[in-house]
Amino acid sequence: MSDAADVQRVLDGDVDAFARLVDRYYERCARFAVRMLGNRDDAEDALQATFVRAYRSLGKYQERDKFSAWLYRILVNQCRSIASRRSQRERVFIREEAVLLNAPDRSTSWTGEDEELVQRVLAELDPLLREAFLLKHVEDMSYEEMSALTGVGVSALKMRVKRACDRLKTRWEYIKDE
Amino acid sequence: MSDEHSALDPAVQYLVTEAKRPVTVDAAARERLLEVVRAEPRPRRDVPVVAWLVSPKRFALPPLATIAAAAGLVGIGVVGGYLINRDGRAPTERPQGAVVASQLPDSSPSRAIKFVLVAPQASRVSVVGDFNGWDAAATPAMRQPDGSWTTFVTLEPGRHVYSFVIDGAHFVADPEAPIAPDDGYGHRNSVVVVRGASS
Repeated sequence: MSDAADVQRVLDGDVDAFARLVDRYYERCARFAVRMLGNRDDAEDALQATFVRAYRSLGKYQERDKFSAWLYRILVNQCRSIASRRSQRERVFIREEAVLLNAPDRSTSWTGEDEELVQRVLAELDPLLREAFLLKHVEDMSYEEMSALTGVGVSALKMRVKRACDRLKTRWEYIKDE
Repeated sequence: MSDEHSALDPAVQYLVTEAKRPVTVDAAARERLLEVVRAEPRPRRDVPVVAWLVSPKRFALPPLATIAAAAGLVGIGVVGGYLINRDGRAPTERPQGAVVASQLPDSSPSRAIKFVLVAPQASRVSVVGDFNGWDAAATPAMRQPDGSWTTFVTLEPGRHVYSFVIDGAHFVADPEAPIAPDDGYGHRNSVVVVRGASS
């Protein structure tokens, strides 16, 4: 069933249809929120706020827009809001937290140590650079999609992504050599 | 996949690969989320309220609603000559709190609240809110000779969110009352705070 059909079913009173939308997008949104906010508690807060706001505002959703893009717009704003509210809180990425954040599939070359470092270098980026980097390279959005989502011009987004890549490269190589 | 990936530095590409790994999702968090959603009022398809408002209609004003002249709509008052419960903020402002306590007199815990909507062109008007389950059929308003629509609802002390429904379809918030903060993404509802006798 398509997103639009599920949205219509929710508006017709079928709350279970919203659960299907949640299932369809929860993991992807969770990944962005965790990478953006750096810890699971904040990410869960962002996810709940995102989906609840989406539910409340479902009547505003226009079918000509992609539901995923509409949902991501809410998610990005919620992550910004939470990051802003908690910007003073010290972020400590302990090994156990990083391990908990990851899927249990250890069959690949994943190492918990590297995952922790990845989260660290992402957290050290300026939030706007991190946001642009994640949308571009982790969520695989086009610059046009990112621009529609963030309200920022394409050229500015390209600059943010480039700066993010440059800083990540420098920082990653430094950390790996520590 | 974007073109830029092919040009990524190997170190950055490694970071991207790692960052793309899925994260575990707490099943309990998902269930908590769905519990919250199920407790929410049912979302409704948005209607072009703005278009309805700008169409050529003439609104009259009740004596107490001169402050609402520009909007030409809506007033909410407390029965028995109590003060009008509004703070005069524009509807685009984000609400910061409820009505000033000193504006409200002592009374019994529950109060009969008079809702007034000036809409001479309307065929039906009702009030919906958290006090009646957002049921548009639960609290119909009565048409008055001056073109206003009025109804009374007995409310317990506390904060209540409400809206008017015109002709069964157009949801109209009170532009002169505080706006409920949780509807910043879509629906605009209004807030009335009923104070208890000891407040």
